[in-house]
Amino acid sequence: MEEQTLIEQAQHGDKKALTELVKMYEQTVYNFSYKICRHKDRAENTMQETFLSMVKNIKQFSGESKLSTWLYRVVSNHCLMLARTEGKFNYESIENDEALIDEKNIADWKITPEKITENNELRTILDDAIQKLPADYRIVFTLRDVEGLSTEETAKIVELTIPATKSRLHRARAFLRNELNKKLHYE
Amino acid sequence: MSENKPTCKDVMSHICDNLGEELSSPKCIEIKAHLEKCESCKKYFNSVDNTILFYKKYDVTLSNEAHKRLIEFLGLSE
Repeated sequence: MEEQTLIEQAQHGDKKALTELVKMYEQTVYNFSYKICRHKDRAENTMQETFLSMVKNIKQFSGESKLSTWLYRVVSNHCLMLARTEGKFNYESIENDEALIDEKNIADWKITPEKITENNELRTILDDAIQKLPADYRIVFTLRDVEGLSTEETAKIVELTIPATKSRLHRARAFLRNELNKKLHYE
Repeated sequence: MSENKPTCKDVMSHICDNLGEELSSPKCIEIKAHLEKCESCKKYFNSVDNTILFYKKYDVTLSNEAHKRLIEFLGLSE
């Protein structure tokens, strides 16, 4: 059934339609939550809170943006709130323009992205690197580069201007590249 | 970026800025020309491209148990 029809039925109290919407997006929301939180229990909790918000507010959903965009926004806000309560990120390394583009350490990497499914050590390296990235940068990188949203959609979700979104993306890419380069380049 | 030829640092910064965008400005054409000739910048480009690919391919699957807990948490049924 079409998403729009399901939304309309859910807005009229149809629980089956609501269940279908949850099933349609649960994998996307869980995956995105995990990519931001980097922790299975937190990702599950964020997913539950996100769909609870959808169930409570579905009547107010106007359809001006896609439901997926709205869900991405709820996940992002939830994760940002969690990150703020922890307040542990060091912005210094990502805001230092001189150090960000590392033109001295250029080498081929000894592993390719195809190996990701079979390599737990590599997954740990990726988790460690992205956890050093402040949550607001992590969200922009994940929405734009990993989930494949446009810069405009990403900017709308994180409520930033397009130049500010691009600036965060630029810094997040360079920062993560440097972190992975430390572990993956040939000696 | 300077008005003359871009430096490697300019090119690397441009890669982080514009990867995935289809751009055809004179500046982008100069960057592409530099990239074709410069081994260091090519390697840098590959490492940024691979960084994105690594995270793109790193997916997690929602377990059946987590799905059931979600449906129950929301007070829904199948």
